[in-house]
Amino acid sequence: MHKRIPNHNILKLVIVCSLVLLASGGFAQRLIKGNVSAAENKETLPGVNIIIKGTTRGAVTDLDGNFTLEVSATDKTLRFSFTGYEDQEVEIGNASFLTILMKEKSTLLNEVVVIGYGTVRKSDLTGSVSSLKSEDLLKTTASNPMQSLQGKAAGVHVTTTSGAPGAGLSVRIRGVGTLNDSEPIYVVDGVILNDISFLSTNDIASMEVLKDASATAIYGSRGANGVVMIQTNRGKIGQEKTVVSFSSEYGMQRLAKKIDLLSGREFAIISNEIKPGSYNNVDAVPNTDWQDQVFRTAPVQNHQLSVTGASKNMEYYFGIGLFRQDGIVPKSNYQRISVKFNNTYYVNDYVKFGSNLTLSPYEQRNAPNVTYSVYRAQPLLNPYYADGSFGVVYNVGNPLADLAYSNSFNRGIRGVGNLFTEIKLSKHFTFKSSYGLDAGLNKAENFTPAYTIYNPDGTASQQFNEFSDLSKSSSDNYSWLWENTLTYEQRFDKHRISAVGGYTMQKTRSEAIGLAGQNIIRNESDFWYLEPPYILDEANNINMLGGIYNNVDANQFYNMISYLFRANYTYNDRYILTATFRRDGSSKFSEQNRYGNFPSFAIGWNAGNESFIRDIDLISTLKIRASWGKIGNEKITYFDRFARVNSNLMAIFSNPDAAYPGASYGKSGNPDLKWETTTQTDIGIEAGILQDKLTLEADYYYKVTDDILVELSTPGHLGNGQGQKVRYNAASVMNRGLEVNLGWREKIREFSYHIGLIGTTIYNEVQSIGGNSGIDSVLIDGYLGNGIPVTLSRVGLPIGAFYGYQTDGIFQTQAELDAYPHASLAEVGDLRFLDVNKDGKINGFDRTYLGSPIPKFTFGLNIDLQYKAFDLTLDLQGQSGNKIFNGKDAVRPDPYNFEHNVWDRWTGAGTSTSEPKPSFGGYNYTPSSRFVQDGSFVRLRNVIIGYSLPKTITSKMLMQSARVFIKGSNILTLTKFTGYTPEIGSYSVLANGIDNGIYPIAAVYSIGLNVTF
Amino acid sequence: MKKIHYSTLLAALMLFSGCKDFLDVKPQGQLTQEAFPTTPADALLATNGIYASLRSWHYHSGGYPILDIMSDDTRKGSNPNDQLSNLEPYDNFTFTTTQDGLDRWWATLYEGIKRANVVIEKVPLITMDTNLRNRYIGEARFLRGLFYFDLVRAWGGVPKVTTTTPPLKLERSTAAEIYALIESDLQFAGGHLPEKSAYNSEDLGRASKGAANALLAKMYLFEKDFMQAEQYALSVVNSTEFYGLEPFFKDANSKLGEHGIESVFEIGAMETEGDVGNQYANTQGVRGTPNRGWGFNRPTQDLRYSFEDGDPRLDATIIDLGEVIDGIEILGDGTTPDITEDEDGNIIEVECYNQKVWIPGTSTNTQFGHNRRLIRFADVLLMAAEALNENNKPSEALVYLNRVRERAREGNTQILPEITTTSKDELRNIILEERRHELALEGHRFWDLLRTGKAAEVLGPLGFVSGKHDLLPIPQNEIDISQGSLTQNPNW
Repeated sequence: MHKRIPNHNILKLVIVCSLVLLASGGFAQRLIKGNVSAAENKETLPGVNIIIKGTTRGAVTDLDGNFTLEVSATDKTLRFSFTGYEDQEVEIGNASFLTILMKEKSTLLNEVVVIGYGTVRKSDLTGSVSSLKSEDLLKTTASNPMQSLQGKAAGVHVTTTSGAPGAGLSVRIRGVGTLNDSEPIYVVDGVILNDISFLSTNDIASMEVLKDASATAIYGSRGANGVVMIQTNRGKIGQEKTVVSFSSEYGMQRLAKKIDLLSGREFAIISNEIKPGSYNNVDAVPNTDWQDQVFRTAPVQNHQLSVTGASKNMEYYFGIGLFRQDGIVPKSNYQRISVKFNNTYYVNDYVKFGSNLTLSPYEQRNAPNVTYSVYRAQPLLNPYYADGSFGVVYNVGNPLADLAYSNSFNRGIRGVGNLFTEIKLSKHFTFKSSYGLDAGLNKAENFTPAYTIYNPDGTASQQFNEFSDLSKSSSDNYSWLWENTLTYEQRFDKHRISAVGGYTMQKTRSEAIGLAGQNIIRNESDFWYLEPPYILDEANNINMLGGIYNNVDANQFYNMISYLFRANYTYNDRYILTATFRRDGSSKFSEQNRYGNFPSFAIGWNAGNESFIRDIDLISTLKIRASWGKIGNEKITYFDRFARVNSNLMAIFSNPDAAYPGASYGKSGNPDLKWETTTQTDIGIEAGILQDKLTLEADYYYKVTDDILVELSTPGHLGNGQGQKVRYNAASVMNRGLEVNLGWREKIREFSYHIGLIGTTIYNEVQSIGGNSGIDSVLIDGYLGNGIPVTLSRVGLPIGAFYGYQTDGIFQTQAELDAYPHASLAEVGDLRFLDVNKDGKINGFDRTYLGSPIPKFTFGLNIDLQYKAFDLTLDLQGQSGNKIFNGKDAVRPDPYNFEHNVWDRWTGAGTSTSEPKPSFGGYNYTPSSRFVQDGSFVRLRNVIIGYSLPKTITSKMLMQSARVFIKGSNILTLTKFTGYTPEIGSYSVLANGIDNGIYPIAAVYSIGLNVTF
Repeated sequence: MKKIHYSTLLAALMLFSGCKDFLDVKPQGQLTQEAFPTTPADALLATNGIYASLRSWHYHSGGYPILDIMSDDTRKGSNPNDQLSNLEPYDNFTFTTTQDGLDRWWATLYEGIKRANVVIEKVPLITMDTNLRNRYIGEARFLRGLFYFDLVRAWGGVPKVTTTTPPLKLERSTAAEIYALIESDLQFAGGHLPEKSAYNSEDLGRASKGAANALLAKMYLFEKDFMQAEQYALSVVNSTEFYGLEPFFKDANSKLGEHGIESVFEIGAMETEGDVGNQYANTQGVRGTPNRGWGFNRPTQDLRYSFEDGDPRLDATIIDLGEVIDGIEILGDGTTPDITEDEDGNIIEVECYNQKVWIPGTSTNTQFGHNRRLIRFADVLLMAAEALNENNKPSEALVYLNRVRERAREGNTQILPEITTTSKDELRNIILEERRHELALEGHRFWDLLRTGKAAEVLGPLGFVSGKHDLLPIPQNEIDISQGSLTQNPNW
């Protein structure tokens, strides 16, 4: 058994060697001898190439790793190179004997991977973990670091929920595992969090996504949706010098794609067909492109300055960043400053302590949802009247006026960090205690002045605001997490054991307060305060202060106590066993169900270390692993278990009317709630072929989530009220799939390249819902703007599957209409719906499965090329097999503009079999397969071309390196979907993939600079 | 040194393990149901809480005024496409078991029943003034009876819930069993509630003895127990309580007449959207200019022409375009045709609105302040007249019928002549017609047609089918959820 030496010791050795060499002074031609061995295990290395730099002279080490070489006084440097090891350059100086330790190249299996409560060599890892390094993440410019994972990690599906600046992301790891909150948890430097929007990608050193039960079970009740581990940057004792780096990027965003809508003339023609005589001269109507009116090009910028350094007993990192994005819709923007400070102090050889702190003030401005009104606004209406005032836009409201009168802001600050100490109790035991804190303060402010948009005849239109409105709210949240772990490491002979046990406590709180008023004395922002004397409607003597509330955030109000344990045993670098156990107690559950146990077991076999595989030249590394375990999910509100009293039931008595407080039972509670449990099995293989030029990682996973905490409708006679649902442990869902991650890395002289390909299949199926007597057996959701639901989750179907009528052509003739079952409203030229249950009638029972919003296959292709000083990156991402419901098209209570497909309308027998005769709404807009579109796409996520300045220039400018680049993001998307973007994310798994007028994703063209000093 | 480390660690661990209470987090700012109601103050809160159900949008026949839309008095209203597929089926009796609104109405009535049951079950356990306790329970039983009365009229026999802890699965009781429950609730209420005038001014609007008796009379009419109907209607008419008719018909539902002499039971509401307002009137309010609401429940031409010549109630019932009310000119909605004609050029619909929900003003907010009158004295008079006629006392019936007509006349002797006929059948029809004109758009017409057996005759041409549309279908989702314990009504 060879002793491992921590990396910084190697560096020290090298430095000492170099110093010795320098001290010896130089002579003319002389002999130099030396020995080369592996740093990792001190085994001597035969066949190492030694070249005197700048010459062709050199030598090769013999069987014992020894070499002899003749050098002259002009020879300064020796270069040592050996397959599988990093090249090393050593100053010759006056040395006569050199001891060289070669460092193993970081390859597939000897990387160190961060896992929960520790790190592990990749070769000893039995779980399924995707790792990404800083350089992979930094290619994407986004406010949320998770966006960098799009198309980069197998099994991780990241979707933007909106293109609005600062908007959230929907992250799904290995399918959709539950019917409630399916977002993973984040562990940033050991602090468990629900969201990382405060974090700058520039501060991140590495990100690992824990996917299978072996990896996630250590997070027990919170691991079922996956765990994203994030390590931020830090200095390293022994690093040669302080590194100052600066990066800056500036981009312009523009609407990547316009929706093909009818022009004014086309709309007039269609209108005349629907209602003859609407427009006398279709060639004389105005033509307003509302998309051009509203969308603009807008800048996005990201700047970061950081300092990484270390002294003899201290390591530090300091970063300050500014991210600012203006939206392509006016009056939307997001700005965040992130301040990061990480440091570690080494008190002595046994004790160290430190902190990781992030402070992020942010400001966000939200535009009203004009995307929807732009889509709907009739193109033959002018945005402005001749006098410059806003023109009326019937039924929708003038989107430009909506924007002009909108003032909606969020401002706040979030601080996340921890203080930790690590005490080496003995050779084998280390105790670590960490106290983490996540605290935030958010203020929201909305102001709408009083205004009226007038009809052409001077009367008031429906778009108006009678009194100015001002609302303010503020919320605070804080959470502390105290974690204490004891780690045990032991090696003897061919055995290697590591174990960690721990105890953690967490407390999470959040409270909000808000109030609103009307009739503010002036519209200027200086007057946006709820001063009681101003907000008085004197004419009616009504105090217009209202909208008062003060409550806790039910999702962020709980305490937890957990016990955790993991043991990892490796024999002979070949056979690995991991056992994990976590016991969680949560205040969200009644005493009898308070604790849940989450075990997992895994085995691994490093077949590549077996001699019979080692002999196969083709295979450089090979590992096979399997895991099984149970993990939980507890993302419910803290009060679901309680039957509560509703105290907001006013009675109105007296004359004049006055309000009197009242209270009564709210909906039922469920004191029997318990943990939702996911059982996951994973089989994986990791292989490196041709000296790890080709790497392969593949996993098959099968996971079933039982006792899903789902809100179900209850029988009306219980009196829970309209639309009120009660949470039960009453569903199960299965996800299975295959994840493949293929990489090819090669260097041909000055050209090096890397191609990465990831692919994931997802099969999702609801296995049961309900079960208890008297509660739903299906979940209906995905309500469109008109209240009609379009998703149905039912046993045997994917979660949130679309449902509605299946179209079956168009009634071409009266005879055909008479011959087929049809709804009473159907006429000739209207859609024919399939009589699914064949009862001769078309009614609600004929609504059927129309596709799933969950992609069957997601993939990413990432190519990096480097030639001399130039580098090129191409990132492609895509998915297939999912459907999108075009909800914005399906909701038409009033006459709105149409997408261009209406132009191909039915105008008589045989003219169309898919596009019915035009109508402004009604029957043909019943939710049906007409609105279900293919959501498959391939998107060119990033194209980056970079150029690194030659050292000769940079060194003159006191720079270590400097690189400039140009980048295009989202510049090309191949899809059949007619909306702005086929990426339609949603936090709700039951209402996913519905385009209700999403804020478009922008294409971004940017230039940037990275400099290190 | 090592030993010290281990022992501090152990001590620390033991310290943490002691925090059992740490995991006991109670609801914040909210009581749990075990802890409520337990004090006299709670009893008042719980009683008030039931009244909040009356202002729920869904309480009013699921939100939209479908009872009027199903009758011959109104059509859907709003602009032609608005809620077309949700409401048009009620107009032409093509609605289905999954029709929009049915489930909302059902669930909200039972929510009110639960709130009533909280008082009926828990308040007796509170040590407090006996009279006050009985009043609270009386209010609760009045309101429970009111909720069940809607349920039984709409659906027939329904699950009977009289406790706060009903089983998950509950079969339908018979209509007779539900009526018996309503009867005992209302009789208790009539026996324990004070008269309207005995309430303090701040309690104006609470259920009263008169309200309970009037509702009982109405219930007996539905049960065709005309003796009891007569007795209870007359008990209200002849009570020492000062009930009467507003001098002007329009004030029977107006802001001015709120809690006035004609009001037997009404739903208080304040002029603001939100917790204290009532969307009932906003749903039917003038659409367009002025913007008072959504404009549903459009009076039919049939209703318009059914009024006797010169009946001032027509003008006080329908708002027409161009009309000026309280100084405000009604221009209406730009997307709604002013006049809709059929293929032969006959006018089938005219843009107009329900004036009985009108609240003076131009904003949408104020429209939420309409106090919906559930029982007005004119209704009680007509109930008395109807019961007396059925009990073969036509001359007594004429007294009450003519009292209603007299007020409607507002002093104009040229119109609405006094009714003199004593023919029972003739008088029955006249009273029904009088109810149509007096109580138009107040949600009575459909029930009146049903209980008098006239529904098939009057509504048949609109699509009404006897033996089917006498009852609404049980909402399909309730049947699905019940997993077989709820059965559907006949022919649905």
